[in-house]
Amino acid sequence: MKTIGLISANYDSSSLGELTKDRTMASIPYGGRYRLIDFALSNLVNSGITTVGIIAPYNSGSLIDHIGIGNPWSLGRKTGGLFLMPGSVYGLKSEGSRFLLRDIVKNRKFFERDDADFVICMGSSDVWNIDFEPLIKQHSESSDPITMVFKKVPRGENHHGYFLETDEDGKVTSIAREGFGWSNYFADCFIIDRDYMEDFIDWFGALDHMDMIDILRDNLDTIDIGTFEFKGYLGKIYNAADLLKVNQAMTDYDIRNEVFCNPERLIFTKTQDEAPALFLPGSDVRNSVISAGCRIEGRVENSIIFRTVNIGKNAVVKNSVIMMHGEIGEGAVLDNVICDKYVTINEGIKIYGGDGDPIIIGKEKTI
Amino acid sequence: MKKKKMIAMLLAGGQGSRLGSLTSSIAKPAVSFGGKYRIIDFGLSNCKNSGIDTVGILVQYKPLVLNKYVGTGESWDMAVNDGGVHILPPYAGETGGEWYEGTADAIYHNIDFIDMYDPENVLILSGDHIYKMDYKKMLKAHTDNNADLTVSVIEVPWEEASRFGIMTADEEGRIVKFSEKPKEPDSNLASMGIYIFSWKALRKALLEDHADKESSHDFGKDIIPKMLAEGQSLHVYRFEGYWRDVGTVKSYYDSQMDLMDDLENINVFNRDMRVFSNSNMYPPQYLGPNANIGKSMICNGCTVYGTVKHSIIGSGAVIGDGTVIEDSIVLPNAWIGRNCRITKAIINEGTIVEDNAVVGSEDGEVIVHGNARLTV
Repeated sequence: MKTIGLISANYDSSSLGELTKDRTMASIPYGGRYRLIDFALSNLVNSGITTVGIIAPYNSGSLIDHIGIGNPWSLGRKTGGLFLMPGSVYGLKSEGSRFLLRDIVKNRKFFERDDADFVICMGSSDVWNIDFEPLIKQHSESSDPITMVFKKVPRGENHHGYFLETDEDGKVTSIAREGFGWSNYFADCFIIDRDYMEDFIDWFGALDHMDMIDILRDNLDTIDIGTFEFKGYLGKIYNAADLLKVNQAMTDYDIRNEVFCNPERLIFTKTQDEAPALFLPGSDVRNSVISAGCRIEGRVENSIIFRTVNIGKNAVVKNSVIMMHGEIGEGAVLDNVICDKYVTINEGIKIYGGDGDPIIIGKEKTI
Repeated sequence: MKKKKMIAMLLAGGQGSRLGSLTSSIAKPAVSFGGKYRIIDFGLSNCKNSGIDTVGILVQYKPLVLNKYVGTGESWDMAVNDGGVHILPPYAGETGGEWYEGTADAIYHNIDFIDMYDPENVLILSGDHIYKMDYKKMLKAHTDNNADLTVSVIEVPWEEASRFGIMTADEEGRIVKFSEKPKEPDSNLASMGIYIFSWKALRKALLEDHADKESSHDFGKDIIPKMLAEGQSLHVYRFEGYWRDVGTVKSYYDSQMDLMDDLENINVFNRDMRVFSNSNMYPPQYLGPNANIGKSMICNGCTVYGTVKHSIIGSGAVIGDGTVIEDSIVLPNAWIGRNCRITKAIINEGTIVEDNAVVGSEDGEVIVHGNARLTV
């Protein structure tokens, strides 16, 4: 059964403040060397999908720079490969919307010209490592035109997004914006029959200002939707606290092994080919992730340090994320802080964010 | 096709038997270096940084890892339409095939390859040297001197000169004498095994050398002495800077430690003459709650729970809790259990070291532990 992938990158989140001022969520730096979209791309190609469309927003500079022609994901191909497609005008979307129907309608050629049986549609801001082959298998054996992927989470009320209620056969009976207690949390990912997608566009094209998931919610009586439970780690990012938490998840032994160190399903990204990290006398690093090209002379704890960051003597970085090319001066102290790219913290500066409420320092700032 | 000023031929066929188990399953240029590099990265990066986009890599001994590693040459920006990297193993012709019998013989067998590009000059390189060098400058000297051959030389201490191939040059840099490992050297300019030949002169020399049944088909022993005897224009090019031949376990160990200890002379961290590699896709390294890291170099993909002092930990290596690694080099994807003690040792690529093992000692020579288990 041939499957193609469609990644929606035409959304951001205002709750990430300066981090998404000039970039989409898809291109937020994550985990020392990645961008969030690496997970969607890697998951698709690791599941044998070699035709992938990306719906890009107007501010897609950082995204295009990162993805190029898709070589890190082996998508620079003669047949299939990577298709960067324009998203619709910005500003019409509602917060949290992933699958604006207008984006899909505008790019319907992507579905029409392919002979694939199925399309996997997914967001571009989740940290996870999923093998789509069991999903494709389950979907191909079912008569439902759509199968939605979810993860069971405790305390659904603490999450943003959609929740699925299902009957005993696993069919979706309702789609809600809120969950309470144990909930089926929608993973911003579904598989759909390609010809059904074309029909769907014809039927609902007039509602193209709506999110496709909202249209499904309103038409559950006529559309059969199956579900597929994902049992692995799902790192969802809506705000700065999530971003810190999902970064720190990399220091968890099981999550690191599941998501990042599975030799059969590596997460690919653009390679910068930096030198190894250099630790100098005075460095004291605990429970942290350190990237290539860093120079560490200070203390680092429970933190994620991106490539080519310098941490000076007697500096202390705790519970923080320092993105690429950061300069942390001698004796500076950062606790619960997220520094964007090219941030300089001068000698002796001390910044304390709240526990679970990190302070964001915008790109290229000097403090 | 635009005529090329210079293409490079990189000799990567030798076994490097003095490196023992490090080269038991891969060619020396493909041996891991400095945690994330392989030895050949230095030569290929020098080519890239010198604007050379066409390189023939002459392979013979166990080339599989090397072939895969070099790939299309994309990592060194050599995946270009008009040029690129070419892996050149021995091949058969109408009258059968032969192995490469020496450095010059390897080039002789690839005359057709060089003719395909028909460059003005050919740069001959060794695949096992650690240095940063701009071959553009050497080419300029070669062209300015209107030389048939330019040999890159480096000053060595007089007392060591008898270990090298020594060039004696006049005031203008013209080579007047070449002596291989002379007992009583009259010069301290050692040949680095880096040559620029004008292709016309080299082509002629190779054909004549091939016809000479007495020749051992070696650049140092045969080609250079003959060209010198014929009165061709041979010049030295004085290179100043860091240069090491990593032929022995000791020099292999020392020059890797230099990447961390001798930043003044060999620096892989700065952007000047950057060293590029074809790195695998690893996540950043993770240092555990009890990790204790002294001065060290640690690569992507590592997981460290123990203590690492004055050591290099290669990509994807795992260091267990309670283990102490000191003055050692752990090559990529080695897996070292708990409560081990590794001192002054090189742990081979992919080697598994069981819990509580003791490898190496403070006063002994540097040892190589384990057989390479390669995953590319």
